[in-house]
Amino acid sequence: MKKYLLDYGIKVRLPIILFAAAASFALTYYITYAERTGIGYQPEQPIAFSHKLHAGDMAIDCQYCHIGVEKSRIASVPAVNVCMGCHSLARTDKPEIQKLTQYYNENRPLPWKRVHRVPDFAYFNHSVHVNKGIVCQDCHGEVQAMDTVANDKYKNIGQVNSFTMGACLDCHRTAHEKFPTLPNLNIGPQNCSACHR
Amino acid sequence: MCAEEKAMDRTEDMKKDITKDTDGALKSGNTASEQNENGYWRSFKELYNDPSFSKAVKNEFSPEALKAPDVSKMTALNRRRFLALMGAGAAVAAAGCNNYQDKGVIVPYNQKPEEVTLGLPNYYASTCSGCESACGILVKTREGRPIKIDGNPDHPVNKGKLCAKGQAGIMNMYNPERFRDPMLSKTQINWADADKKVVDALKAATAAGKEIAIVTHKIVSPTAKKLFDEFKLAYPTTKVYSYEVFSDTARKNAWMKSYGKPSMPVLQLDKAKVIVALESDFLSTEHNMLEYTRLFTQNRDVMSGREFNRLYAVEGAATVTGMNADYRIRLRTDAIEEFVMCLVVEFAAKKKLSGFPANLSSNTLDHFRTKYALNETAVKNLVADLDKYQGEAIVYAGDKLPESTHIAVNLLNDILGNTKLYSQEIESVDQMPLSAPEELGSLVSAMNSGNAAVVIHYDTNPVYNLSPEYGYADALRKVPLTVTLTEQVTETSELSQYVLPIHNQLECWGDFKTRTGFYSMQQPIIAPLYNTRQKEAIILNWKEPKEFNENLYKDYLSANWEKSMYPATGTAASFKKFWNSALHDGVVYVNEKPEGTAATFNAEAMASTGKVRASNDYVVLLQSNNNVGDGRFASNGWLQELPNPITKLVWDNYAALSVQSAAELGVNTNDIIDISIGNRRQSFPVFIQPGLADKVIEISLGYCRTAAGIVGTGIGVNANVLIAKSPALSDRIYNDAKVSKGSGTYELISTQEHYPIDSDPLLKDIQFRRGIIREGTVEEFKKNPGFLKHESHLEMDPINKPQPYATTEYTGYKWGMSIDLNKCTGCGACVTACNVENNIPIVGKDGVKANREMMWLRIDRYYYGTPDAPSANFQPMLCQHCDYAPCENVCPVAATTHSTDGLNGMTYNRCVGTRYCSNNCPYKVRRFNYFDWRDRFRDSFQYEEPLDQMANPEVTVRSRGVMEKCTFCLQRIMKERQDAIAENRNVEGSNVTTACQDACPAYAIEFGNVNDKGSTVTKYREHPLGYSVLEEIKVMPNVTYIAKLRNINEELHKKESH
Repeated sequence: MKKYLLDYGIKVRLPIILFAAAASFALTYYITYAERTGIGYQPEQPIAFSHKLHAGDMAIDCQYCHIGVEKSRIASVPAVNVCMGCHSLARTDKPEIQKLTQYYNENRPLPWKRVHRVPDFAYFNHSVHVNKGIVCQDCHGEVQAMDTVANDKYKNIGQVNSFTMGACLDCHRTAHEKFPTLPNLNIGPQNCSACHR
Repeated sequence: MCAEEKAMDRTEDMKKDITKDTDGALKSGNTASEQNENGYWRSFKELYNDPSFSKAVKNEFSPEALKAPDVSKMTALNRRRFLALMGAGAAVAAAGCNNYQDKGVIVPYNQKPEEVTLGLPNYYASTCSGCESACGILVKTREGRPIKIDGNPDHPVNKGKLCAKGQAGIMNMYNPERFRDPMLSKTQINWADADKKVVDALKAATAAGKEIAIVTHKIVSPTAKKLFDEFKLAYPTTKVYSYEVFSDTARKNAWMKSYGKPSMPVLQLDKAKVIVALESDFLSTEHNMLEYTRLFTQNRDVMSGREFNRLYAVEGAATVTGMNADYRIRLRTDAIEEFVMCLVVEFAAKKKLSGFPANLSSNTLDHFRTKYALNETAVKNLVADLDKYQGEAIVYAGDKLPESTHIAVNLLNDILGNTKLYSQEIESVDQMPLSAPEELGSLVSAMNSGNAAVVIHYDTNPVYNLSPEYGYADALRKVPLTVTLTEQVTETSELSQYVLPIHNQLECWGDFKTRTGFYSMQQPIIAPLYNTRQKEAIILNWKEPKEFNENLYKDYLSANWEKSMYPATGTAASFKKFWNSALHDGVVYVNEKPEGTAATFNAEAMASTGKVRASNDYVVLLQSNNNVGDGRFASNGWLQELPNPITKLVWDNYAALSVQSAAELGVNTNDIIDISIGNRRQSFPVFIQPGLADKVIEISLGYCRTAAGIVGTGIGVNANVLIAKSPALSDRIYNDAKVSKGSGTYELISTQEHYPIDSDPLLKDIQFRRGIIREGTVEEFKKNPGFLKHESHLEMDPINKPQPYATTEYTGYKWGMSIDLNKCTGCGACVTACNVENNIPIVGKDGVKANREMMWLRIDRYYYGTPDAPSANFQPMLCQHCDYAPCENVCPVAATTHSTDGLNGMTYNRCVGTRYCSNNCPYKVRRFNYFDWRDRFRDSFQYEEPLDQMANPEVTVRSRGVMEKCTFCLQRIMKERQDAIAENRNVEGSNVTTACQDACPAYAIEFGNVNDKGSTVTKYREHPLGYSVLEEIKVMPNVTYIAKLRNINEELHKKESH
């Protein structure tokens, strides 16, 4: 009797338990992977800025605002005075613009919620990518189309790609297949010191 | 002895672990040289094969380093950790309510300054006011924060180079312990009240006819000079006193007496074929060291094809200059004047000059040589060379030598026609002579008698700096109003009523003039961090009280320039344009010539020289140093931790003694000796220093500040108390010292045996034959440039051995470095530059003691020869970025790997801290973070605001438990790659400079693309004198050393018998 019970425990129960545990772990791992790497992350911003309106409908070049992107490793979020370059005159009747003007006039910091983030130990460099002809959308998605439905107007931009080391290496290894239109592109460096220092 | 008694007790216990450094030395004076006749050695332990050294060689990680941490010594649950735990607890609690995807915020500028691009540095020219040399600096800023100070390449004196103190000076600005508000008797007040009280007192003092004293360091700024003059007009009872602990007053006074001119012409050291340095450390600790190092080493360049100069050093101390000399003559310092007079007599006789008093010297040179047992060959060569190179040689006396010796040297140079080497075009300019000791004496008596109503310390610390014989501290207590303008707490500010905080040099406006022909400009790099004011502005505001604004002194300065200097430049540009370009360049050239050239030697001056005779007592030399200066850098941990170039000691000063003298006194390293000079006495720990003249004691000034904040207080021993008010010889040489063995011991910490390279016990002694250091003579090189290559001194014949690893081709660019040992003087500027560039933490004396120092670049110092008269070789040692790096093979987690451009990379986030890599590194250049040093050192001092803002944002701040090492300044390589891609061109090796290369005043370091056959670094690598250290192990290092050539007539020590 005792022996049988022990046998049953080892032969049947234990594998089932292990399988169930492993399966639920694997399932959770894959289901939540995208979310864990930030895909679809759409934080609420202090000002309901729409990339679709600016970059899409009005076709303002990305670099009109993100001026650092081809000079520096940091693309840079535009200073408030860049916004005010137009909005001191344009659409001053809109509540969101009035909010912006208030930040500017009161010289208060404007805390944009961060959407994309590479860890501090990886020194990603915007300028080397952009100057090689890789465009913003290749990593950030179709930002110029990122506005949302009317009832959700505060959520207008989200992360579309995972920003993991795997994603970096994926492109670096297969640069030519990924970017057939850029014939002069070299294979990206795959050594550690390219990003880590 | 001011270091705590407790510390001494503790060291008693510790000492049991430490082998007596010189036991062997004391017992067996002669056998020493037999054992290692042909070898290089780093310490007595190694020279005498002390078992502890071989143990150290065997165990890379000393038992000390591997000891479990002592919990009681930890900062334990300090405020920071408590808060961290609290914070972590709160964060855990709050996590449930937060979006776990939250990535924080990005806060852009509200109005971005036009010149700032995030991620790109801006550079601003300014002037360093760390000492009176006033070198031009170029400050690198990121997003408005200064992160690195380098020399300004446009500055005609320092030409883009900067000393260790200047480099590390950036930490002073970020020092969390700077005063932030004005204080009255240690309570915070506001500026308006302070100004009002002081101005009232100034007016009252003027009305009562009482003295107002301003005590300042040397005034180097013409506009500040003008300001003081105007202040004196506003308050006519004002007197301005200036002093420097390390000054070259003796040289200038001697020049005045010899040639009747107050200003000295600039010495063109590059034109000298023969240089005789008399107790002078012009290559390291004396004034103008950057320029002299450049001029000296540019004639020791194997690439240039120029004839090597020859350096003789006659000295009692063991200085960097002496150790770099071709011939070094050991002579006690107080006999140097007699030596010079012997030379004068010798050459006067040779040249049949008349008109010299018969009693000029009591000795002939031969007698003198025998009396002091001087090295015969060296003296003979010296005389022959001075004779041969008349008009192309220079005898240069050290700052600290007495005025009479300087006159004797002037006379000798005059006889030999060497005055030609003094420039006709450029001379030094003094805004204001330093106060004579008598003037300072009269200030103190005015303070005592109540005649001085107000004393203003203008960024000075006379309580600590001045000789105790003045009784300055006591006198200060009697002054009705005492004001100290200072950045940080000092001994003087502790005794002052008003302590007014001033700007750091990086927040200041100013102009400086040290020589004819140019001005050096100073502009603020950052807005004032605190409620401080520029010291000139404070004085200006008191001169004519009105509402203060930050631009007060700036307006005064530019007005003065518009009125006085701008018209003299003769420029056609408008003043505004001129002013902006002056600030942009940092240097303004003006067309001016010295008035009149040096006339003939004034024969009357001879009467006052040649009188100094050596005593039978000990000579005490009070030395300047690369670390704390006169004490003003005491709170700078980087400098405290920078090893002394010769002794490699850190965090301390000590009495250095020769082997012979130590035996006489019966003391050993770490023992205490009591020194008394007259009625001034002090006790010092002993360090036995090879190469010192017998009966000479060398002690660094500037240590044991009693009020210098958490880092600098109580470090070392105060030697200022030995300074006399009116010294017989000079304020830094005393030849009437009585020395006796004291009680107790004190542990000194030296890095000289840390990270020894030659670590395989099977290869004992082979280290000397392995050619880690290679040297030859200029003669040998001329006869056969490849003489070192052909020398079969390697037992394992590396050249013909097959390469054990598969070869990798490096197409494209590949990085390499060359270090010319002919030029390296060992000064340590590179080490400091590396510390600043790469965010190297300070570990403290305890950390260094446990072999845990973090500096990526060290300078190995190898002695050669006997302990009495060694020569030294300096070898900067850093990661060699081997093609077949042994560290990479053993890393279990692939945290250290090779890149396609030949770099050995270190990925901190992969490292798990096994330390296998360090074990397997033949060069011992890897450093392990046993702790988070920023947290551990001095109660998290390095994490205090705003010191945490100082870090270079392009370099990771490493955490506990990871290995790190030199990256060849990877961040700078990546910047060049970024620029190359942006400009659509190839990566250009010459566009990348490493931090150490930028700093090296001798231009010893070259860096670049070794696949580019035209590059400088390739030329050095392929030079016949180029070699790699330990090349027989075939790891193919990418740092090439250029073997040192000694410019001597004789054959260099025969290397090996086989």
